[in-house]
Amino acid sequence: MGLFSSNRAVWLGLILAFAAIPLIPGIPDFWITLWDYIGLYSLVAIGLVLLTGVGGMTSFGQAAFCGFGAYTTAVLTSQFGFSPWLTLPFSLATTGLAAFLLGLVTVRLSGHFLPLGTIAWGISIYYLFGNIEVLGRYDGISGLPPFTFFGHSLIDARAIFYLIWLCVLLAVILSLNLLDSRMGRAVRALRGGSQAAESFGVNIPRVKLVVFVYAALLAGLSGWLYAHMQRAVSPSPFGINAGIEYLLMAVLGGSGYVLGGVLGATIVIVLKDHLQNILPKLIGADGNFETIVFGILMVAVLQLSRNGLWPLVQRLLPKPAEKTVDESAPALALRTMPERGALLLEVAKARKQFGGLVAVNDVSFAVKAGEIVGLIGPNGAGKSTTFNLLTGVLAATSGSIRYRGEDIAGLKAEAIAARGIARTFQHVKLVGSMSLLENVAIGAHLRSGAGVLGSMLRLDRTDEARLLREAARQLTRVGLGAHLHKPAASLALGQQRIAEIARALCLDPALLLLDEPAAGLRFAEKQQLAELLSQLRSEGMSVLLVEHDMDFVMKLTNHLVVLDFGEKIAEGSPAEISVNPVVLEAYLGGVE
Amino acid sequence: MNATIALYLAQDGIINGAIYALLGVTLVLVFAVTRVIFVPQGEFVAWGALTLAALDAGSVPGTAWLLVVMGIAATVLDTLRQSKTITLHAIGGMVVKDIALPVLLLLAVQAIAPGKPALWISVLLTLALIIPMGPLVYRLAFQPLADATVLTLFIAAIGVHFALIGLGLVFFGAEGFRTTPFIAETFRVGVLAIKGQSLAVLGVTAMLLAGLYLFFERTMLGKALRATAVNRLGARLVGIPVRSTGRIAFALAAAIGALSGMLIGSLTTIYYDSGFLIGLKGFVAAIAAGLASYPLTVMAALGVGLLEAFSAFFASAFKEVIVFSIIIPLLIWRSLKAPHSDEEEE
Amino acid sequence: MAGYLRPKFLHMGLTAALLGLAPAAALAQVNVGITVSQTGPAAALGIPQKNSVAQLPKELAGQKIEYIVLDDATDPTKAVANARKMITENKIDILIGSSATPATLALVDVAAETKTPFCGMVPTGGVVRPMDEKRKWAFKAPQDDALLADALADHMVANGVKSVGFIGYTDGYGQGWLDEVQKIFPAKGIKITAVERFQRTDTSVTAQGLKIVSTNPDAVLIVASGTVAVMPQKTLREQGFTKTVYQTAGISTMEFVRVGGKDVEGTIFPAGPVIAADLLPDSHPSKKVSLAYIKEYEAINKSPYAGFGAHLYDCGLFMLSGVGAALTKGKPGTPEFRAALRDGIENQKEVAATHGVYSFSPTDHAGLDKRARVLIKVVNGKWTLLP
Repeated sequence: MGLFSSNRAVWLGLILAFAAIPLIPGIPDFWITLWDYIGLYSLVAIGLVLLTGVGGMTSFGQAAFCGFGAYTTAVLTSQFGFSPWLTLPFSLATTGLAAFLLGLVTVRLSGHFLPLGTIAWGISIYYLFGNIEVLGRYDGISGLPPFTFFGHSLIDARAIFYLIWLCVLLAVILSLNLLDSRMGRAVRALRGGSQAAESFGVNIPRVKLVVFVYAALLAGLSGWLYAHMQRAVSPSPFGINAGIEYLLMAVLGGSGYVLGGVLGATIVIVLKDHLQNILPKLIGADGNFETIVFGILMVAVLQLSRNGLWPLVQRLLPKPAEKTVDESAPALALRTMPERGALLLEVAKARKQFGGLVAVNDVSFAVKAGEIVGLIGPNGAGKSTTFNLLTGVLAATSGSIRYRGEDIAGLKAEAIAARGIARTFQHVKLVGSMSLLENVAIGAHLRSGAGVLGSMLRLDRTDEARLLREAARQLTRVGLGAHLHKPAASLALGQQRIAEIARALCLDPALLLLDEPAAGLRFAEKQQLAELLSQLRSEGMSVLLVEHDMDFVMKLTNHLVVLDFGEKIAEGSPAEISVNPVVLEAYLGGVE
Repeated sequence: MNATIALYLAQDGIINGAIYALLGVTLVLVFAVTRVIFVPQGEFVAWGALTLAALDAGSVPGTAWLLVVMGIAATVLDTLRQSKTITLHAIGGMVVKDIALPVLLLLAVQAIAPGKPALWISVLLTLALIIPMGPLVYRLAFQPLADATVLTLFIAAIGVHFALIGLGLVFFGAEGFRTTPFIAETFRVGVLAIKGQSLAVLGVTAMLLAGLYLFFERTMLGKALRATAVNRLGARLVGIPVRSTGRIAFALAAAIGALSGMLIGSLTTIYYDSGFLIGLKGFVAAIAAGLASYPLTVMAALGVGLLEAFSAFFASAFKEVIVFSIIIPLLIWRSLKAPHSDEEEE
Repeated sequence: MAGYLRPKFLHMGLTAALLGLAPAAALAQVNVGITVSQTGPAAALGIPQKNSVAQLPKELAGQKIEYIVLDDATDPTKAVANARKMITENKIDILIGSSATPATLALVDVAAETKTPFCGMVPTGGVVRPMDEKRKWAFKAPQDDALLADALADHMVANGVKSVGFIGYTDGYGQGWLDEVQKIFPAKGIKITAVERFQRTDTSVTAQGLKIVSTNPDAVLIVASGTVAVMPQKTLREQGFTKTVYQTAGISTMEFVRVGGKDVEGTIFPAGPVIAADLLPDSHPSKKVSLAYIKEYEAINKSPYAGFGAHLYDCGLFMLSGVGAALTKGKPGTPEFRAALRDGIENQKEVAATHGVYSFSPTDHAGLDKRARVLIKVVNGKWTLLP
C-alpha cells in the first residue's frame, strides 16, 4: 500500500512513459487496440481484486455488472438520444442499485455459498438480458454513438486509449487509497479476520456490501466504456463465461494486489492474441486450439505461482516505503471512565443451552471498575462460552448481562464494542499479511468516522494520522514499538497475543476481556504483561481475564470466579479461592 | 393444465432430475474428498455420449488418442516432479499402467470400431476410455495443488474445463450427435407413454446410487474416502493417502459422468459443449444440498428437474432464469443454517 | 451467368469483362479478412464457413487474393477485436463475418468507421436495413428470415393451415424467426396459438410440446438446428400430434432425417437453393454453382457440406466481384480502392450464387429475391422439392 505516496517520482515516470506509448511512431495500431481492451478488463479485475483477493468474496458475476453499465447507456443513447457522457451517472446508478440489491442477498452467504450464488445470478442475468425486448434480446443493441470530445469522435483506438486508461488510473488510485484507510483495513480484515474486526465495531455486512458495490461500480464503468468503444451490446460479453474470465484475470495477476488486476488483464489479453498468431503456425491447423492451450497454461501458472504473478513483478519494483507515523497528530478523544469501584459489569443468571447441553448454567458474577477479575476453571468449564456471551458472539438463552446499568445481552459484537468493551481472542485473530500497526489500528475503528468516499479521495488524512498515532502508541506501550511495520504473521505467537492487547487498548475500553493472554509467553514476557495489566488497572481500566496460568492469575487478580461444568462453583479473592475445598477438589486438587 | 399434463411433466422432471442427481452426487463427492469444485464434470458427460456415438458410427473417437497422450504427460510430469525420490520401479509401473495400457486400448478400439460393435461392447469401450481420464486429470491438474485454497482449485478447474471443451471440439466437431437408445421401446401406462430409455435412466441411476451407498458404507475404500472428506489431516494421520483418495474420487466422477452421457445421448442431441449446462444443473442440486449430503442432493436434483419441467410449461423462455434464480433463496437458507465458515477458508 | 460456375471461371469472366481496364502494375495483393465462430455456441456455423475459405479464388484480375481467417469464439467483443486487428495489421480490403448475429451487428459499425466493404453472414435484417450512411458499407449473404417465413406462410395458406404453434430456440436464431413469424403469419390470417422456447442443450421439451398440443393448432413450426430439431418433433408425435410440422433451414442436413426416422416424415422446410441443389431444375441459376461448390467442399474437407458454409462462399463471390473495376481507382490497401470496391459491389446485378441470385442497389444490400428460397418436404426419408 501507499505505493503512490512513497515512490511518487518512479510511478509518475512509469505512468508518463505508458501515456506516451500511443504517441511513439511505428507502434502498431492494433497494439493500442489491445491496450484499450486491457484497460477495460483491468477495471473489472481491479474491482475483483478488492472483492475477492482482499475481501475474500469470490464473484463470478462481475460481467453481469458490466452488462448493467453497458445496457443502461446503450438504451439511453440509442433510444433517448442521450450523449454518451451524460449517461455515465445513470450507468453507475443502475449498476450500483443492482449491486446493492444483489449484494444485500449475496454478501450474507457464507463460505462457498457465496461464489456459487454469484454463478447463479450471473447466469440468470444473462438470460434476462437475452429475453428483454427493450434490450434487443439476444441480438442486443447496435449502432451506439462513440464518445466525442470537443467535436472529435473518440473512435480511434489512440483517442479512446487515454479515456480508458484515465479511468484505470483513477480506479487504481482510489482503490489503493481505500485500502490504505480505516475502511480499507476493515475490508482487508474480511478475509480471515472478520470476527476480530466485528469485535471492534466494524459492521461486517456493511463493509462487505460496500466492497461489493464498489467492485460492481468499477465493472459498470467498464461496461459504460465498452458500450461506446464496441458501439454494440449483446448478452454474451456479460455472461458467465466472461465472469469466469474476469476472475481468472484477477487470480492470474495476483488477487491480493490492486495492480495484479491490471497485470492479470494484460497477460490474458496478450496471451490470447499471441496464441491466435502463433498457434496456427505451430500446429499447422488453425482455430480451435487456443482454448486448449489457454486452459492448460492457466493450470500451469497456478501450479507454478499460486498467488498469481504480481508478487514476481513486485520484486522488480521499488519497495513501498514504510508508513510514517505522525507523532504530532493530535491524540484521539478519550472515553469517560466509570468511577473506580462502581459496578461495571453484572452478570445475572446467564444461561446458554446448545440443544440439551447446558454450556453455561445460570452463572452470576460482577466486575467493578478498576479491578481485575479472573474467570477460571478446568477445560470445558464454560469459560469461553461465557466470554462469547459477554462479547456478543453468542446470544444468551436466558439471564441478563448488565454493563454500566444497561442490558447488553443479545446485542451484536459491534454494539458491545461501541460501549467500551474490548477483547482479545484465545486463538489469535490478526490479519497475517497486514502490518502490526494496521492490525492494531483496527482497534480504533470506532474512534474515527472516516468514510469510504473520504478515504478514496484522501480527505481522511488527519483522522488517519490520529488513528495510526494511537495504534503506534499502544504498540509501544505493550513493548512492540520496534515491530510496527512487520507483517503480523512474522511475529512469534506470544507477541501476536500481546499485539491483540494493543489492538484492544486502541478501542479505549472501560472493560478489557482477555482470553488466555499469557498462553505461549515466556517468563519475562509474562512479567511484563502482568506489569502492564496492573498499570492499566491503576489507570482505572477493568479487566476480565480467562487464564490457565494459576500463578499469573493469583498474583494479578482482585477477584476470581470459578466455573466447572458450566456452573459457578466459587468466587472470592485469590487467597480465598486458593483454600476453597470445592475448588481444590474440582480443579486445583488434581494439579497441585 | 390438467392431471395428464402434470403427470407427463412430473415424469419428465424425474428423468432429468435423475441425471442431475448423478452429477450432483459426483460433485459433492469430488468436493468433499478433494475440495475441487469440479466444473469439467459436464465434459465427461459430453465425452461419454460422443465417444459412444463415434463408436456407434464405426469411427475411432479422439478420446482414445487423448488417453494415450494424457498417460504420457502424467508419467513424464510425475517423474519430473518427484525426480529425487522416484524409483525406477515406480516409473516402470507408470509406463505400463499409464502408457502401455492406453496404447493397447487404442489398438483395440482401432480394431473393433470399424466393424460397428454391438452396443454393449461400445459402452464398455467408452467406459474403459473415459474412466481413466478422471484420475489422469487429477494427477495432471489438481494433485500439485492439493493444499491450495478452494478458490485456486476452482480456477484450476475452470482451466481444465477450457482445455477439455477445446479438445472436445477438436475430437468431435461442432455438430451434435445422438446415440442408440439402450431400450428403444415405448411403454404405455394408463395415459402415460414412457420411453424405455427413460426407464434405463431411472434404473441405472438407482443402481448407481445404491452402489455408491454400499461403496461408502460397506467397503474399506469407501470408508477411507468418507474419512478424507470429514477430515483430510486426520485421514492422512491414520495412513489414508490423500492422493489415492483424490484419484478414486475423480475416477468415480469420470465413470458417473460417462454413464450419464451415454444415458441421455439417445434422449437429446449432445454437442461438445452440452455438458456444461447439464453439469451446472447438477451443481444447483449439489449446492442446494450444501455440497455435503448425498440424499439431500438427490432430492434437490429431482426438485430441479421438476422445477425445470414445470417452468418450461409455464414460461419456457424464462426457464433458465427460474432454475438459476431459485437457488438464491436456497443459498440464503443454507448459509443461515450453516455455521460461520469464513474463517476456516484461510 | 454460367461463368460464375466456380472461382476459376469467375476469375476468367471478370478478367475478360474488364480487359484493358485493369492496370497491369498493381502489385499489392487484395487482403480479405474473415472472422468466424470456429468455437463457442455458433461453432457449427463457423467451422463450415471457415472450411469454405479454401474455395474462394486465390487470384483475381491479376491480383493475388490473400485470406486471413480468425476465430471469434462467438464473442462479439472478440469479433470486433479481430476485425480491428485485420484492418490495422493486415490492411484488409474486405471484411467478412461473423457466424452469429450480435457479432455481425457489431462488425457493421467497425466496417463503416474504417470504410471497409463488409459482408455479413447472418439473416438478420439489421445488417443492411435501414440503409443509411453506416450500412452503406455492409452487404449480406443469407436470406432474410422474412423471405423464408413468407414462403412457409404461403404454403400454410394454400394448404388450409389456419393456426400454428411455435417452438424455437431461446437464442437469437429462434428470436429472429419468432419476430418475423409474429409479423407475417397474422397478416396472412394464420393464428399463432402458442409460443414456446427451448435451449439447444435441453434434454427434453415435453412440457413445451404438451403446451402446444393443448392449443390444438393446425400445424407446428419448429425453429432449431441440426439433430436437435428432431427432439421437439419426436416429442410432438409421441404426444399424438399428427398434423404437419414445419421446420427451418437449420435442419438442412441428412443427419436430421437419419436420426428423426419416421417421426420427421412429411416435414416441410424452406431453405436456400444450395440445400436442394441436385433437385433444382437445370434452369435454376443457382444449380450449377451450388453443385460445384458442394463437390469441391466435400472433396477438400472429406465431410458433408453445410448451408452455412455456402454463405461465406456467396459473400466471397459478390464481394470480390468488384475487384477488377476497383483496381482502376486505387491500389489494394488504400481507401480509394475500398471505396471503389464498395461501389462496384453495389452495382452488381444477377450474381448467381449458391443461396440465390444477388442484385444489389444503393437501397438494397441484401439483394435476394424469391429465387433464393425453395420449399423442401421429407418424403420417404428423402428430400423432395415442393413447387
